[in-house]
Amino acid sequence: MSTIFPKWTNGLPTMLAGGAVTTLATVVGGVWYFATPKFWEVGYMPEQPGGGFNHQLHVGKLGMDCKYCHTYVEVSPEANIPHVSICYGCHSENKLQKYVDSPAHREKTEFVRTAYKTDMPIEWKRVHKLPDYVRNFPHHAHVNAGVSCISCHGNIGRQPVVWQHESLSMSWCLDCHRNPEPTLVAKDQVTRLFEVEQQMADPAAMKVAGKKYYEERQIAAPENCGACHY
Amino acid sequence: MSVIRPDETTARELAGMQPVGPSARPLDPRTGDGTLTEDNTKRAPLVLGERDFHSVTETVCGYIEKGPGRWWLPAFIGAAQVAGLMPIMIIYLIITGVGVWGLNNQIDWAWDITNFVFWIGIGHAGTLISAILCLLKQKWRTSINRAAEAMTIFAVICAGTFPGIHVGRVWMSWMLFPIPNSNAIWSNFSSPLLWDVFAVSTYATVSALFWYMGMIPDFATLRDRAALRLLGDKDRAPRLPIVGVKVDQVRAMVYGLLSGGWRFSARHWQNYEKAYLMLAGVSTPLVLSVHSIVSFDFATSILPGWHTTIFPPYFVAGAIFGGFAMVLLLLIPSRELCPGMKDFITRRHLENMAKIILLTGMMVGFAYFMEFFIAAYSANKYEIDVFVYNRLMPPFASEWFGTHRFAPYWWAYWAMIFCNVVTPQVFWFKKLRQNIGVIFTVAAFVTVGMWFERFVIIVTSLHRAFLPGEWHMFFPTAVDILTFVGSCGTFLTLYLLFMRFLPQFAMSEIKAVMPQADPHYYGHRGGGQAHGHGDGQDHGPDHGGGGGGGGGGHAAGVKHDPAGPGSPTTGGAA
Repeated sequence: MSTIFPKWTNGLPTMLAGGAVTTLATVVGGVWYFATPKFWEVGYMPEQPGGGFNHQLHVGKLGMDCKYCHTYVEVSPEANIPHVSICYGCHSENKLQKYVDSPAHREKTEFVRTAYKTDMPIEWKRVHKLPDYVRNFPHHAHVNAGVSCISCHGNIGRQPVVWQHESLSMSWCLDCHRNPEPTLVAKDQVTRLFEVEQQMADPAAMKVAGKKYYEERQIAAPENCGACHY
Repeated sequence: MSVIRPDETTARELAGMQPVGPSARPLDPRTGDGTLTEDNTKRAPLVLGERDFHSVTETVCGYIEKGPGRWWLPAFIGAAQVAGLMPIMIIYLIITGVGVWGLNNQIDWAWDITNFVFWIGIGHAGTLISAILCLLKQKWRTSINRAAEAMTIFAVICAGTFPGIHVGRVWMSWMLFPIPNSNAIWSNFSSPLLWDVFAVSTYATVSALFWYMGMIPDFATLRDRAALRLLGDKDRAPRLPIVGVKVDQVRAMVYGLLSGGWRFSARHWQNYEKAYLMLAGVSTPLVLSVHSIVSFDFATSILPGWHTTIFPPYFVAGAIFGGFAMVLLLLIPSRELCPGMKDFITRRHLENMAKIILLTGMMVGFAYFMEFFIAAYSANKYEIDVFVYNRLMPPFASEWFGTHRFAPYWWAYWAMIFCNVVTPQVFWFKKLRQNIGVIFTVAAFVTVGMWFERFVIIVTSLHRAFLPGEWHMFFPTAVDILTFVGSCGTFLTLYLLFMRFLPQFAMSEIKAVMPQADPHYYGHRGGGQAHGHGDGQDHGPDHGGGGGGGGGGHAAGVKHDPAGPGSPTTGGAA
């Protein structure tokens, strides 16, 4: 019988098997690593008008409370983006100038005054956006349960320009809903980011304290589909 | 246009160029082609035409090397045109959404799942023939098992498409499988829909393995024949158009690759027999499990009409019923169209399959009756209502009974009863079950009836649920219809490709049931053909049955025969 295949093809099955395994491992590993919100979403930091509201300065350095601007976070599902009048409350011509008066600063905050005078909203770009098949994420429910801002947004007081700190994937939501205790803090500390950050360095203590809060506040973090999806 | 004169045919036969077949001779009115014998002391021959081993190889390989006939190309082009409808319709569906089907809020499963169950049921005959009939040592299966297994694969391909596309967001259909994902969603293992995914994918895998493994020796035969022709005829060999490569070169490579280094050694045959037996053992529970699990999709729900414990056996019997009908629908035309195929698929084969259709048809009829009995016996008014006013009651009868209500889908129900229960009854009569035209007609009716059975179960149960406010009718759209027609075209196209490029018969298995395979055959040659046949049936080797410890002598002539021109074909030479 004649030979149909040349001799080098003897190694072909081994090579093909090796290639198949490598390809499979690459595809699975690639999808595992790259095709997730953890890779795509985390670190999203769009360019904001006027270079962005400097949370590092306002929250971190000046110690402003989150609720000073995000006024409805305790009562509304939406942690509202403040109206420009709130910005103008400080950045009007005759207020901050008493303390910081430099041409650079004046120039940098000019867009606030322009927006106020022309009665046009500042076009902030939304950073944290959930898919449209998720109902409005209820900020008030989470804040009132004692989930600190830091759990979802990271320490905003360290972010000069806000970036997306967490993946916001469904498994990320469920991780917390299935094990909510370590994220619960005292109610008056929800917005005290730097204090919470220090507490979170000790997860065991968080867990112990969280257990107490969980029972006290009668929290029942839902895991059913309808809790988040219509 | 070549006209072959009768004397030329005789001359060809005498010269051994054309196998002598019963097709050339007039049929006996009593025994048909000689296989419908009444004599209980003799078993009907399984291979006709006084063939030797070599002529079996020549005929089966001839379908690939010379083509199954001039009808093939037009038939293939026609079928492929119809098959093209399916991708077009699916693409339209994906682009537009499931709204292009006639589904509504109440009837959220209709033609999609009907087609799925229809096609998955078709496949069961193949598995039954290849696995259960193998374990039961039914030698007549050897002529039909390859075609039936091929049909199984193609039916599963058609079936698997529908659950994939009916999910709405097709790109999420990977969620059918338990794959870790960033949504932390895990498959619902308590849902029969998930069992279905595993049942069907296991079924597809095992069937494909069984089919492929059985073909390996035949691939090797085709490889050797092509390779030898390449040695003999260097320049005049036919070449592929455009590419210019010799056709035999391609055949040697492709079939060589597929045969995976098969060399017809005794060790190969021994492993082959063992693997075949094991796969038959693995497939046997699948014949019963797959359609049982498909029936759980309905039976585990609480919808009257679905919530029925008889469903698993009823579905399995129905699947075998519909599957054998489809085997007949495919094999009857192929044995007419392919030269020499009538020697392998005899009238006896068709009669046997007709008997199985009669048996399984009665089982299905019993299940239909039992559903009514249980509804009446349980005195559950919802159950009774579904069977009487969703299915049974025609408008005129409702006037007689004065109920003023009738089942809107009564015609579908009665079409099912007529096709599945009434028509197979003609097979009680020997004259009718031996008539090929009648068998073909009944098989066609059964195929239609089995589609209607699934339609009746799915749509009529759904279209009127507990609240009259949710009552709706189902109207298929053009997309519904064309997708189904396209799936039939896909099935036929794949089968035609199989007829053209893959061995339609398991050559070694057919040779094993021929009289020459009997160890006593050559010693008793004077005893005549009939004696040889009788012995062959009793002691002849069969796959799964005779392999292994059956004895060295019996298989020597057959199993180690490469069946190609490479080594002498034992049967012919001796």
